[in-house]
Amino acid sequence: MHETALMQNLLNTVYKAVENRNVVRVNRVILSVGQLSNALPDALSFAFRAMTQQGIMKDAQLVIKQTPATARCESCGGEFPVEGFPIVCPSCGSSSFSIMSGDEVYIESIDCEED
Amino acid sequence: MGRIDIKQDLKALNNQIAAENREKFAANGVYVINVMGSPGSGKTTFLENVLPHLSSKLKTAVIEGDLATQNDAKRIEKTGVTAIQINTGGGCHLDAQMIEKQLEKLALESLDLLVIENVGNLVCPASFDLGEDMRMVILSIAEGDDKPLKYPVAFLNADVAVITKIDLAPYIDADVAAMRRNIGEINPKVAVFEAGMKNGVYSADEVTAYILGQAEKKQQQR
Repeated sequence: MHETALMQNLLNTVYKAVENRNVVRVNRVILSVGQLSNALPDALSFAFRAMTQQGIMKDAQLVIKQTPATARCESCGGEFPVEGFPIVCPSCGSSSFSIMSGDEVYIESIDCEED
Repeated sequence: MGRIDIKQDLKALNNQIAAENREKFAANGVYVINVMGSPGSGKTTFLENVLPHLSSKLKTAVIEGDLATQNDAKRIEKTGVTAIQINTGGGCHLDAQMIEKQLEKLALESLDLLVIENVGNLVCPASFDLGEDMRMVILSIAEGDDKPLKYPVAFLNADVAVITKIDLAPYIDADVAAMRRNIGEINPKVAVFEAGMKNGVYSADEVTAYILGQAEKKQQQR
């Protein structure tokens, strides 16, 4: 539901990254979206399209990579991907865990054309 | 065509401001609770009933988040506790910057406890750190005992869950024990409490004692 706010941050971040370069066009933005981020890829794509109607990002493509959450087992110390609930360590069966990643909405890189 | 590596989380700015808020709270010995839950789960009613017991021992203030109206801040002020209302317009959650902007009005040095009632929404608030010590989810038994399974992230990030309106359980097809099990299935570390009317009086003694204990612990660590 807050995908538009995230997209505004994305645009600000992209414009900041290109500010001292002579970028004429941004072709692609590559975004990692964690499984626990509560950010919907469809809503992100929609907001991106709506907010890139002009300027150097016009017609840019948003590539969304969905990344799984990971947890660390507090009994055996192993790290494992979260594959649903309940979260149980696949090595030792413990249900004592800490979430290590999965709530990020992370810009990896942009592809652009420079003059 | 060139590639520019950015490697930045879009929530980085929020997380940075939340960390600054957390430092200010720690420096002033203020314990902070972020109260989240669906619209109508009973967040404000819970606070109206619990605040008098908290504010008799701790200097307490409340920040109320809603899309519109001053209604909840007015309800809270009737308990004698200072309340500041934030209206987000259409915003679905509070963020760290909204809290930061209110801190000047609060005189943190004279507070022990700050309770932030987030916008009624069980999705977005869970993704935005405000700088709190305790994340509390309020859910009413009337929402259905499988609610934790349907909104897992809120419970995955929670420290405390309070099941409200437990007096309604006999009249609806919902089971408090099942709701507790479902919270534990998402996150076994959540401390679960119950609240509701008992013989005509709102009862939430256990969670009140728990909050007082946690706030005192923070003051002793200072």
